[in-house]
Amino acid sequence: MEIWSEVAKVIGAGLAMGLGALGPGIGIGILGMGAMNALGRNPEARGPIMTNMILAIAFAEAVAIYALVVAILLIFVA
Amino acid sequence: MMSGKWRGGRSLKILVAVAVGLALVVISFIGSSVGSRIVGSEPMGFLTVGVPEYHPAPERPFSNLPITNTMITAWVSILILGGLFFVGTRNMKPIPGGLQNLLELVVEAAANFIEDPAGKEHGRWFFPVCTTIFLFVVVNAWVSLMPGFETIRINGEPLLRSANTDLNVPAALAVVSFCFIEYWGFKAKGASYLKTFFNCRPLGQALKSIVSGNIKAGAGGLLNGVVAIFAGLLEILSHLIRMMSFTFRLFGNMTAGMILVMIAAYLIPWVLPSLFYGLEAFFGIVQAMIFAGLTLGFACAAVMEEE
Repeated sequence: MEIWSEVAKVIGAGLAMGLGALGPGIGIGILGMGAMNALGRNPEARGPIMTNMILAIAFAEAVAIYALVVAILLIFVA
Repeated sequence: MMSGKWRGGRSLKILVAVAVGLALVVISFIGSSVGSRIVGSEPMGFLTVGVPEYHPAPERPFSNLPITNTMITAWVSILILGGLFFVGTRNMKPIPGGLQNLLELVVEAAANFIEDPAGKEHGRWFFPVCTTIFLFVVVNAWVSLMPGFETIRINGEPLLRSANTDLNVPAALAVVSFCFIEYWGFKAKGASYLKTFFNCRPLGQALKSIVSGNIKAGAGGLLNGVVAIFAGLLEILSHLIRMMSFTFRLFGNMTAGMILVMIAAYLIPWVLPSLFYGLEAFFGIVQAMIFAGLTLGFACAAVMEEE
């Protein structure tokens, strides 16, 4: 029985990270698309677009980081 | 003729650089503990890095003292920040030069960043806290890229470890930022700041109009009143959850960076980690900006006049 809890931990951590990375991946893709569109329309606004894109990407990425924290907790703490 | 020769020289330089880089990657992969097992060669002693192991809790290098290695790092970065600003502002000149110029650049950039959304008056309130959070987080992140971190060992435990990878440090910063946001809200609006959380006025108006006989208008207002109270409770919840998301965003990013560098050093030592170090330096400043910028944004939302 001991081995099954270990198995459940590993599978749970993998699922948490994999499924948790799906949404942020899509989100970052949409963000990049928006930034590229804006850049195509208005190339001289490169600086502000870049800064805001990186900030927004960091927010989208934070969701994946929560999944990572869950995965780390599952493997090392649970 | 001339330009062709110059261009040929440059592409040769690029070729040599690429070849050297590839050779370094291949050599360090073959010499590493993973690659040598795949290729079947002898691992090179100075390239073998142990299997990465990660402990979520900070270690205590001095076994009998309750001092963790992340605390020591936090002290180091406080000393660095304090020392820099002390030395830079000891004898200030009207025309700044050297260190004073650099510090003024940082402080001015922060002041502009904060006064842009917050305005002059509120910007003065937010500036000390937001800038301190930014500088502390970024110095913590950058200090942990120095050599010696997690490699100098005392009693078998690393003496230094990035303070942001200890859950307590981001949590402490998050609590500080939460308290200051609520304080600024009360300072700007007084007791009426509580209306953000307990908005009973629509319900009271609806009940009043029902009592005074206008049942049709009162029944419509009743629903709005209940929704307003519920929205206020949700606001309390979102303020509390904000603390958690602050904490885990910083902790997760910094921990992920630490694990990433560890795994890179395990797979292709010496070449791959140096690339990730650049990434980590970038993420350090981005995360610091996000922590300070979110505090600023929530503080602006707290002091903003409604309607």
